[in-house]
Amino acid sequence: MALTWRAVALAALGVVPVVLFPVPGTVLVWALVVAAACVVDVVWAASPRDVALQRRVPRAVRLGVLTRSELVLTNTSRRRLRAVVRDAWPPSLVTDAPARTAGGPVLARSARHDVRLAAGESARVRTPLRPTRRGDRTAGPVTVRSLGPLGLAGRQASLPVPGTIRVLPEFSSRRHLPSRLARLREMDGRAAVQVRGEGTEFDSLREYVVGDDVRSIDWRATARRSEVVVRTWRPERDRRVVVVLDTGRTSAARIGGTGPEPAPDAPTEAAEPDDTTEPTLGGTRLEASVEAALLLSALADRAGDRVQVLAYDRALRTRVAGASGPRLLPALADGLAVVEPALLETDWTGLVGQVRSRVSQRSLVVLLTTLDPAAVETGLLPVVGQLTGTHQVVVASVADAEVARLRADRSSSAAVYDAAAAARGDLERSAVSAVLRQHGVEVVEAMPDELAPRLADTYLALKAAGRL
Amino acid sequence: MDDTVVAPVVTGDGTTAGSRTARRWHRARWAVLVLAVLALVVTVLAISRPPSSTTAYAPDNAQPTGARATAQVLEHQGVEIEHVTRVADAVAAAGPGTTLLVTPSPYMLPEQADALATAGADLVLAGAGDDLVRTVSEGAVSRTPVGDPVGPVAPRCDLPVARAAGDLTLASGLRAATGASSDVTLCWPGDDGAGLAQVAVRPALDGGGVPGDVRPVTLVDDPSFLRNDAVLDDGNAALALGLLGGHERLVWLVQDPLDITTTREDDDPSAPTGSLLPPWAGTVGLWALLVALVAAVWRGRRLGAVVPETLPVVVRASETTRGRGRLYRRARSRGHAAAGLRAAAAERVARRLGVPRSADATALTDAVGRATGRPPQEVVDLLYGPPPADDEALTALARRLDILESEVHRS
Repeated sequence: MALTWRAVALAALGVVPVVLFPVPGTVLVWALVVAAACVVDVVWAASPRDVALQRRVPRAVRLGVLTRSELVLTNTSRRRLRAVVRDAWPPSLVTDAPARTAGGPVLARSARHDVRLAAGESARVRTPLRPTRRGDRTAGPVTVRSLGPLGLAGRQASLPVPGTIRVLPEFSSRRHLPSRLARLREMDGRAAVQVRGEGTEFDSLREYVVGDDVRSIDWRATARRSEVVVRTWRPERDRRVVVVLDTGRTSAARIGGTGPEPAPDAPTEAAEPDDTTEPTLGGTRLEASVEAALLLSALADRAGDRVQVLAYDRALRTRVAGASGPRLLPALADGLAVVEPALLETDWTGLVGQVRSRVSQRSLVVLLTTLDPAAVETGLLPVVGQLTGTHQVVVASVADAEVARLRADRSSSAAVYDAAAAARGDLERSAVSAVLRQHGVEVVEAMPDELAPRLADTYLALKAAGRL
Repeated sequence: MDDTVVAPVVTGDGTTAGSRTARRWHRARWAVLVLAVLALVVTVLAISRPPSSTTAYAPDNAQPTGARATAQVLEHQGVEIEHVTRVADAVAAAGPGTTLLVTPSPYMLPEQADALATAGADLVLAGAGDDLVRTVSEGAVSRTPVGDPVGPVAPRCDLPVARAAGDLTLASGLRAATGASSDVTLCWPGDDGAGLAQVAVRPALDGGGVPGDVRPVTLVDDPSFLRNDAVLDDGNAALALGLLGGHERLVWLVQDPLDITTTREDDDPSAPTGSLLPPWAGTVGLWALLVALVAAVWRGRRLGAVVPETLPVVVRASETTRGRGRLYRRARSRGHAAAGLRAAAAERVARRLGVPRSADATALTDAVGRATGRPPQEVVDLLYGPPPADDEALTALARRLDILESEVHRS
């Protein structure tokens, strides 16, 4: 049972008899009148359990893309249905602007629909959804509040209607892909003209043109033919690239946003006053790692390498392998959509064991983790030797924009102490990087927005140098 | 987007009216039970215990400031007590052949005092103010506030009540006005006046009195003889019973501070005691309560439950850096802070100038000196000098390091 504003208005109308007969009994009689009207309305309302509900949702949607949930309602009762229907979804999908207080309730007006159906009729209501967080989102129940003919009161039921949307990673770093692919094509098929070692795999023979390196002339082929012939080279193909995402506790840390990065709903961001004391709270470290993994995988796949992606903390969270070409990115997005940071210390021995069991040939192993000195010294350093023996290892870490801001702040003596702490942290990280480099590991550290392109550049450089 | 998932059709949630009722009862039965027991206990307590007020001098107040002891003894002696809180009720009830007791009433209006003075009953005023004393005694007695009484004094008058009570400890601030008639009897005289004064007043003809009749008005300066905590001292009880037990009926007035009534004719008897509100206020209040109740039910019912969502933890990656900065600051560890800033600056400068990590300090300072054109000693001071003495020096050092770095990067 639920009341509407009309019931309140009816109760308020009681002021007329109260003015005419100002005795307490009048109020009592009027209360009985209101109650009786509400009961009659409830009895006459169509049952909310006689409504057939069907939900249609997209299976998967990219982060930040507007989509919708469709609900088909059929009135199977013999009464006329007059109802308010709420198609409930978790707050991160709701398109309405949140309350001004941070973390306040979101009143999803967009999820409420007025429905009027004669007996046997059907209607379709659409609830707009804009996902703001990665992962599987399960819909809540559908609530039907069926009002009586007077509109005073109604019956209400929450009915469990299944529905799940998988929110895929945004892959905003795909804008860097065309330029990297162009670089890849430049490398591909180029004669070893100026730089020998631009790729080490024999590609083809072609006619000598002035300017070619005389060392690349293939004398045997020249002898067989009438003109001078040079060999061309191309980067190796069919190499193996293993991208490992560390989903341990260090990946849960929020890194300072470098701009309006996490919020696609720009109007609310602009409406809020610029809070100078609290910088914007960015996404987790894992979000940047996922972006970098997607860009690197897309690039390596185009370059003809075989990509597999693992997510690991103390157990294997996700593994995408064996997909290539147009099937790779959907498979990756699907696999990485549900990866969440776990508040566990990463088991590096187990992680290295996973990599060693998955790949036996020499491959490029990219570890997307952090350069936090304590975590690296106790976790990665003791076991990294097992990988560097057979594989080329790259450690990629997201730097924190907020720490960079702290380092440059000279506004007060307190800020200078913070800057000193940031500088000390930089020194420790660079020391750790130096130790890793001594082990033959490539280290990439960049701001969240730059990590993906920097990692792609590192990959291209390694490929160009034939170090894969 | 293209592959839409169509869920199976759902009708109802598999419950019936009966199963829902059973489930609700199952969920709420303990709360209902506890509430029922609570209501029962409250009802039993309310019925079994007579109400006890906390108003001072009230006949139903069992606390030390109350007067239930006196009232109960009087009732056992066959005196019918009518407890009133409004002057109008008191005047209406106090006809001839009754006693009207007026307990201390600091908020009494002059009109109310006049109304009391015209009442037909025998008046007993305990602890009345000067205005009220003058009004009811028709100017024969006045009262001046005096300090606490010292010890029991003898009554020294011929009133039977006073002789029965004997020696009493009473404040004595009542005086007969000069030139007053001889109808004033003063008892328990002290330094400033008497503790009790009795005046024989001829009732006004419109007050319902019989012409020629004389009714006594007894004034007691100190009302504490009525109180539960003092009634057993000395002869207080004898005084109280003697004064109040003169007639079969006793009207006991404990004035409500909000009371402004004088006589019954000029107000509505259905209005609440001493109310300043208009008579229809209660009805309108009930109506407002009804509207508020309906509105509460309207807003109180949610359109379905809140949909929960697990959120990622909020741990800023910069927390450790900030924490370390605070530690430096709290410990005033300028040495560590300056060393950190200098080492970081030196490393960046060295990388920029291509000085290897293994190179010693002299090689670096020489390279920096060449790059910036600064004397080597200044560079040495900046990069390897003593720790700064205070926070200002630390800030200045940080700024100078920034300038040095920018010069190196420009070169």
